[in-house]
Amino acid sequence: MPEEASAPGKPGKFWTIVWELRIAIALIIICFALSLATPYFMRERNLINVLRQVSVNGLLSIGMTFVILTGGIDLSVGSMLAFGGVVTASFVSNAFKDIPSINPFLAIFLGLAAGTLLGAINGVVISKVKVTPFIMTLGMLSIARGMTYIYSNGMPITDLDKTFLQVGQGYASFLPIPVAIFLVAFLIAWVVLYRTKFGRYVYAVGGNARSARISGINVGFIVFMVYVISGFLCALAGTLLTARTSAGLPQAGMSYELDAIAAVVIGGTSMTGGKGSLIGTLLGVLLIGFINNGLDLLSVSSYYQQVCKGMIIVGAVMLDYFQSDSDR
Amino acid sequence: MRKTVLFLAALLLVLSAGFAQAGQKYRIGGATYGLVGEYMKLWATALERHPAVVQGLVDLTIFDGRYDASVQQSQFETMSSQGYDAILFVPIDIEAGAAAVATAHANDVIVVGSNTRVNSDLLTAYIGSNDVISGYMEAKAVIAKMGGKGNVVIIEGPIGQSAQIERREGNLKAIAEYPEVKVLEMRTANWSRAEALALMENWLTAHPGQIDGVIGQNDEMALGAVQAIKAAGLDVKDFAVAGIDGVSDAIMAVKNGEMDLSILQDAVSQAQGALDIALGYLVKDYQPMSDCWKDYPEMKWNGGKDKNYDVPWTPITKDNADEQWAKRQDLTAR
Repeated sequence: MPEEASAPGKPGKFWTIVWELRIAIALIIICFALSLATPYFMRERNLINVLRQVSVNGLLSIGMTFVILTGGIDLSVGSMLAFGGVVTASFVSNAFKDIPSINPFLAIFLGLAAGTLLGAINGVVISKVKVTPFIMTLGMLSIARGMTYIYSNGMPITDLDKTFLQVGQGYASFLPIPVAIFLVAFLIAWVVLYRTKFGRYVYAVGGNARSARISGINVGFIVFMVYVISGFLCALAGTLLTARTSAGLPQAGMSYELDAIAAVVIGGTSMTGGKGSLIGTLLGVLLIGFINNGLDLLSVSSYYQQVCKGMIIVGAVMLDYFQSDSDR
Repeated sequence: MRKTVLFLAALLLVLSAGFAQAGQKYRIGGATYGLVGEYMKLWATALERHPAVVQGLVDLTIFDGRYDASVQQSQFETMSSQGYDAILFVPIDIEAGAAAVATAHANDVIVVGSNTRVNSDLLTAYIGSNDVISGYMEAKAVIAKMGGKGNVVIIEGPIGQSAQIERREGNLKAIAEYPEVKVLEMRTANWSRAEALALMENWLTAHPGQIDGVIGQNDEMALGAVQAIKAAGLDVKDFAVAGIDGVSDAIMAVKNGEMDLSILQDAVSQAQGALDIALGYLVKDYQPMSDCWKDYPEMKWNGGKDKNYDVPWTPITKDNADEQWAKRQDLTAR
């Protein structure tokens, strides 16, 4: 297939369309195969389950898409998730004695603010001090995790407010609330990325930071903002996970950065920035979710799940490599 | 800037020298595999509250092994070279700690193993709880609630860790006694609540209406399964659910009737008992100071010279959950 697409001059129209829809096609094939393999896959309840399971990674991946589009990377998402989660939990817990229990919405606001602050620190250091994103967020991965342990005293924060738990366990009509939150976040992110000047600048900065600067874009501000967005979404994901598991777990989110980066890469976003799409990321998130779910339903060992996911990531990047070859 | 650094370094040197000379205390290190997670926190807290530490007989330092055998190894080297009298050792894994124990032994430092065994003859003594027994107890309890027949799922710890291997052995031993009990699924969720939650959700989909019992090899995973059952709109009370360790959240879940059983792994006794054993080798005619020997009359002190001390497991059920909860509140109060 890539050979056809990379034929010099004009690739066949059919193959161009296939190429554009490659992730969607892969998703459909996998869903089709799974529904043949197990009768439980296509059930409404299972599909809702998958959506609920992917909502946390989905939120991280939205933020990661913004970051990677600018040519950056955010390795600290799992740690920021944990920090946001325990901060929120601490304000709705009856067992956490240092802090009184407050209104759950205020608590969520404070948790989100905490994550956003960490994201802002990433953003300032990367955009002003020019520490490379890889190094800064690698540092933040450790810093935020350590702060999470300090804050929670290394213990899970439990006995949480019942209203708060609805955020993770309740339903908005037929949709689980985490799914609804993920979808709303996705829509807002889509509008920001494709219907605002800011969104166009994100692409421009990732495509070529220098020409973006020359054409008058405040590159530093754009870079700063994508890390803020990522921090905010991580804390939101942490809040959902806390409400879903009924506890603020300081170990939550370990190595979640891998799944988030995987979803973005599978979704066709280029690691060098400037190219990619949010829809692709959504499909990447779903692809990972369906594969994990399907292999669970089929009682396949989790060891194979890891091998499988790794191969899909590498495969997706290889396809992109052939594609960009054809651009030259 | 450089002056400040030099000053701080000098200050640190003076301070540490001062500490080293203070009194004739016994220097004892608590080498934990990592201070994240409730169990090791409780273990460390219990040590700090041991009467010998409170009264100043022991100068205690807790080390964070950061879940890494090589970190523990270098901490042992540090303690050996700094003239520690004894080390209370909780290794990350049964096979990983032998070299560390050998290092201490070569420097005549007493090493008392606690919680997790080390495959080494050089260990002075060991105090812990037998994981096969806890695995057996929890599976028995789950099967009992199921009325001796039905389908269970087992959520396992990280494959290859000694706790997983031994708890599985206990689980399967109990299940083997009941020909009408079938294991539908047996998979790892790596001690993680979030992983167990997704796993159980998928199992409930794959085996609708067929799962009667959930055997979690630790409490966190059992709690994840409880969340999944609730999320699926099912009644937790229709399932037999058990876990091991007795973490606070599990005690709460037993109180609320969401879990049928948690089995307390007694961090206090494992930690304080280990310190008593170490002091037994250091102090002439030492009498144990911790309450754990009174709490478990079946665990005999025997002059402190036994090779093995077995801390009994305490089942936490609806009957004693309130009492255990009060005890825990006391231990976790800051």
